[in-house]
Amino acid sequence: MNNELFGKDINVWIDAFIRVNIITIMMTVVVMGLIYLERKAIARFQMRLGPTRTGPMGLLQSVADALKLVAKEDVRPRNADPWIFELAPYFVFVPVFLMFVAIPFAVSWEVRVLDLGLFYVLAVSSVNIVGWVMAGWGSDNRYAMLGALRAAAQSISYELPLVLSMIAIAMVANSLNLSEIVAGQGRIPNIILQPLPFVIFYIAMLAELNRTPFDIPVGESEMVGGPYVEYSGIRWSFFFLAEYASLFILALLASAVFLGGWAWPLGEDWGRWWQFILTGVKAGAMIFSVFWVRSTLPRLRIDQLMTFSWKVLLPLSFIQIMVNGAILVYEPEKEVGQTLLGVTSVFGVFFLAWIINRSVTRPRPRPVVAARGEAVP
Amino acid sequence: MKGLLKSMGVTLSAFTRKPVTREYPETHKQLPERDRAFPILLWDHGMNEPFCTGCHACERACPVECMTVLMKDNPNHKSQGGESSRRKIIDKFWIDYGRCMRCNICVEVCNFDAIAMNNTWQGHEKSVYDRSDLVQELPQLLAVHRSGELKPWVVP
Repeated sequence: MNNELFGKDINVWIDAFIRVNIITIMMTVVVMGLIYLERKAIARFQMRLGPTRTGPMGLLQSVADALKLVAKEDVRPRNADPWIFELAPYFVFVPVFLMFVAIPFAVSWEVRVLDLGLFYVLAVSSVNIVGWVMAGWGSDNRYAMLGALRAAAQSISYELPLVLSMIAIAMVANSLNLSEIVAGQGRIPNIILQPLPFVIFYIAMLAELNRTPFDIPVGESEMVGGPYVEYSGIRWSFFFLAEYASLFILALLASAVFLGGWAWPLGEDWGRWWQFILTGVKAGAMIFSVFWVRSTLPRLRIDQLMTFSWKVLLPLSFIQIMVNGAILVYEPEKEVGQTLLGVTSVFGVFFLAWIINRSVTRPRPRPVVAARGEAVP
Repeated sequence: MKGLLKSMGVTLSAFTRKPVTREYPETHKQLPERDRAFPILLWDHGMNEPFCTGCHACERACPVECMTVLMKDNPNHKSQGGESSRRKIIDKFWIDYGRCMRCNICVEVCNFDAIAMNNTWQGHEKSVYDRSDLVQELPQLLAVHRSGELKPWVVP
């Protein structure tokens, strides 16, 4: 029972232990870095400086925050359901770490190669809705309950476009193994062949992460933090850890599936370090764009949110799947097929843009008509 | 849609601009030269004594009564064998900066141009742990102009 790790044969259990530790430590450090970077980036978007006091350029701000959160009192309301309240943070935070297992960073650098990697990641990512609902239910607080229900509604609604856009990609890549999807992109990354699924994935990702245009469940200004109103200290920080970790992982997933991951451009020739840099830069660009959107767009209304998911994104992703199927079923030559896929998908993007444009443009004022049909002056 | 993209452009241009924040305790903005912090007394560098004769004009004019003035005979007067033409001179002078409201009236009523508003950063940064520390004595009041830190517009 030996496994290979870093080119050496070691016991399966030690191997598993090392891999789990790598994930945990790396995720914690990455999350702390992301929080720092987000604060700095948002500050620059508002022409501020962001944290500067703790450490050089405020680099230790996240460390200080983490220490503060660990040292804080862990309060549980008297009426809260003890088991559900205490367990909810883990239900939010463990699935995020499980998602990490199948993500490829470089050639044969993932925790485990899974043949159903894409399916696995998407399946695990939706488990944390349970944690949100548990947090809302267990807190015995109206705001928490309302936030949890909103979170559940939003996550379930946007799960579908997310998964369906991924199905479109899996059809083109002809695989569910993330490493194969990355390697199969070759010279043309999937974003060029399938821009519409990328746009749908991006929007659904923002909604899954409860980030700003879709941050209705946590909306600080109306629900004072949504499902985690009653949480404090270390349990509260678990929710934030999970949020930023899933931001990181979905950015990695997008970079692997749509932007060519470690393979494009020149990744397969230039060695492992270049592959790491490519993955990092692509994921970093995704994360930066999420910060950028957060600093720009206002929050949607809940009915707009649901309408956008069920009436726009979902039908469009179904159409994309059908078009892909109609093209791929005839097994055209590679160039012809790729051209057809790209052109149809670009049309889809324009169609989506037209729909958004139509809905955000103010409707033409109609004359107000009285009950008897006479125009009101 | 155009509006969305335009707003994204606006925030991106804000991102590339320089932050407007000044890190206050480290960097001090240049104060305007007519800035009015707390009143201080001026020092007659030619005669090497204060301009103030202790005439009580400022004390009487002060709306919040933050000043206390004591006068004495000038030991440096010509009649005493000195060089100064000031018969009387300031003996003790207290200003309670906790009371002062920086109204500039004392400067306007002064007959000898002996009092002025501090226009340096020292005039603003007066935080203490005890209110009684805000009561300034004569040497403290004279120190800023005596050391030449005051910017010149107030110098008569």
